[in-house]
Amino acid sequence: MVRPTEFKIAHRVTDAGVTLKVTGELDLSTAPVLGESIGALRRDVKAVTVDLSELTFMDSTGLRLLIELDHRAKQEEWELALIRPRYETAAAVLKATGADSALPFEDAPEP
Amino acid sequence: MGGMASIQAEFILDRAYSAVVSMDEEGLVTAWNPSAEATFGFKREAALGRPVAELIVPERLRAAHREGLRRFLATGEGRVLDRRLEMQALRADGTEIPIEFTISALRTADTWSFFAFIRDVSERVEADRERERLVEELHVALRGSERRFEAIVGSLGDAITIRDREHRFLYANPAAVAHLGFGSWEELRDTSPDTIMQEFTVSDEHGQEIRMEDIPSVRILRGEEAEPLLIRTVNRVSGVQRWNLLKAAPLLDEDGQVEATITIIEDVTEPKRAEQRGAFLAQASAVLASSLDYEQTLRNVAQLAVPEVADWCAVDLVDDDGDRNSVAVAHVDPARLSLAEELRAYEPDRLDPDQGLGLVFRTGESLLYPEIPESLLVDAAVDERHLELIRAVGLRSGLVVPMKLGKRTLGALTLVSSESGRTLDQSDVELAEQVAARAAVAIENSRLYSQRSSIARTLQQSLLPDRLPEIPGYEIASVYLPAMEGSLVGGDFYDVWPLGDEWMVIIGDVTGKGVEAAALTALVRHTMRTASEFLPSPADLLAQVDRTLKHRPALSVCTALCLRLRDDQVTLAVGGHPLPLYLTGGQVTKLGEHGPLLGAFTEAAWHDVTVELEPGSTLVAYTDGITDAVDKGHGRFGLERLYDALRDARGPQAAKVVECLTGALAEFQSGANADDTAAIVLHRLARAEARENSAARRENGRPTDDLLAGARHGQTD
Repeated sequence: MVRPTEFKIAHRVTDAGVTLKVTGELDLSTAPVLGESIGALRRDVKAVTVDLSELTFMDSTGLRLLIELDHRAKQEEWELALIRPRYETAAAVLKATGADSALPFEDAPEP
Repeated sequence: MGGMASIQAEFILDRAYSAVVSMDEEGLVTAWNPSAEATFGFKREAALGRPVAELIVPERLRAAHREGLRRFLATGEGRVLDRRLEMQALRADGTEIPIEFTISALRTADTWSFFAFIRDVSERVEADRERERLVEELHVALRGSERRFEAIVGSLGDAITIRDREHRFLYANPAAVAHLGFGSWEELRDTSPDTIMQEFTVSDEHGQEIRMEDIPSVRILRGEEAEPLLIRTVNRVSGVQRWNLLKAAPLLDEDGQVEATITIIEDVTEPKRAEQRGAFLAQASAVLASSLDYEQTLRNVAQLAVPEVADWCAVDLVDDDGDRNSVAVAHVDPARLSLAEELRAYEPDRLDPDQGLGLVFRTGESLLYPEIPESLLVDAAVDERHLELIRAVGLRSGLVVPMKLGKRTLGALTLVSSESGRTLDQSDVELAEQVAARAAVAIENSRLYSQRSSIARTLQQSLLPDRLPEIPGYEIASVYLPAMEGSLVGGDFYDVWPLGDEWMVIIGDVTGKGVEAAALTALVRHTMRTASEFLPSPADLLAQVDRTLKHRPALSVCTALCLRLRDDQVTLAVGGHPLPLYLTGGQVTKLGEHGPLLGAFTEAAWHDVTVELEPGSTLVAYTDGITDAVDKGHGRFGLERLYDALRDARGPQAAKVVECLTGALAEFQSGANADDTAAIVLHRLARAEARENSAARRENGRPTDDLLAGARHGQTD
């Protein structure tokens, strides 16, 4: 069962790299979509920012994806930056699992 | 001429604009004014006394001139007198000029004088000629531009029509004549617009019927703005479908009124079909990839082709014996599906290998029936009812394409056009083949996947303890709700085993996929069981698992909650897992502190927390499958509902808490759960409960000590 969620990924490309802004819920059904979006980026992209500031929910599948990205970035030598979710519903799992401090998270700029 | 009158006459004659020439009965010139001099080039002196006939009458007319004069003098009959006449006159230089003149006869004494008042009309005649020439030239030019118009408009691929206010065709270029299905312009011109409209079913992009009043040219006649209109026409007779873009403009008369409308009918069938195909195939790929469920995939395949490609779509698979296995049917109008069901009953189990589906299965080649003749239906029918059913379906045109994977034919898609009345053509075959190719891959994927996922599922579930051991002073219950079939998520696990007079309780969640996740679960459990023999601290146990996971070549991550139970004390450590909930006196609180996920981060540390469990209290350890569960409105079950469910439990007993929890969850998510869901509940017996329990056991003849020994034995061998 694919559960439709208000899920959206917006790409922004700058000289500094690519930013993917993820809106909605990152879970079982949507995490693979984000995974594919990042997988589809050009190999010469040297910096990827995943902006999760507008994320409203994240489950363990989403979390696992972020950890995988972090591992890949280290192995393939590109820069990964993550923007913290503003919503506690998404941020809670990051804090509970230690991902918040172990992964390259930055605060979202004030809206 | 003399006296006063003569002077006056001379004065007038000298200044008259017209040439005035008079002659006597002999035809000799008696007067010749200056205008006459100018007109004919003879001086007065040279003209006087000479015969008029010789001076100004061209030779060919002189006989008639003389005869006229003679007849008048003889009979008094003057045909030419006092009338405005035109003739050619001679000039001194021998050239002729056109003149306009009147002749009057005057009788004085007993002799006749004749006066001619003459005007040179060369200029006027020349002007007339020029005008005629211009008109002729204009005609030539117009005929030329008409030819050019015909050459340009006639050769355009786009159909162009001009219609009058009554929608009658005033003009149609050859493309339009052909487009509207006519052999000649005359044939089209003599056919009423309504008759032409009736030959087609006309709809817009969304399948909505287009009526005469929606046509741009008709809207323009109503004085409305008319945007270009995209229409789909299906010829009722031939079934040929076309896409047209209608663009209309008004032709205005001198008063600015719409006199007629010009319509350009752009045939966009090819680009429209290409666009539809692109969109359709993209959608097809997405739909086919959206489910790994075998049955659902096949239903999706059937639904896909309707109504984009045809009105009916059936999916058949070939089984190992080469027989058909009908798996899905879709129809534009779901109400008519029963018809298909009834039809299916007539189909033979054995297919004829030389026609239809059987032929496609055998050869792996597509078949196209652009027209399905009545004779074919009659031949195919088994009995009257069968023929009736076939006719009711209204088969118009059909095609069968194989779903192939390499050289292997997995099945076939049958597409039939009926209601829409359109005929299927080679390009539909090509489109269907592309859908079939994608469908074949999706079918094979889901087939493989369902095999693989059931292997993984079996493996995963085999890792859960068959039966929980009994812990003295505690009541223990667990629940495990596997994720629905087809889900790719890995497994939740839990385990309970004794360590001397203490007990280990673990619960965790491996977020991998399939068999890999099952293998990982086995590794985690094995590591914990082994390490627990020499590492008394749950935090140290988690650290050991973390190290083990990090040694694996592939990223291996799991959450785990580890509890060590000793009498009424519990020591716990948490690795990326939801904190256990503690239920006592109607209050729910969290126990322990969050620690990092296992196998995920380079620097990680875990801490033990020890708490005392009050008699009558209950501890609930669960996986996020519970809190992350979703309902139809996409809400999450969440922690609040979990708290409420625990508070609402009819008693603190483990079994009752589990029952209440699963009840609340089932009510909430109204369907299968997307993720694995597990919980393990420990209820510390109050003194009274403990006594009841042991009494019950003794009655059953199963002393507690024996049971414990058995459990211990069962878990460690």
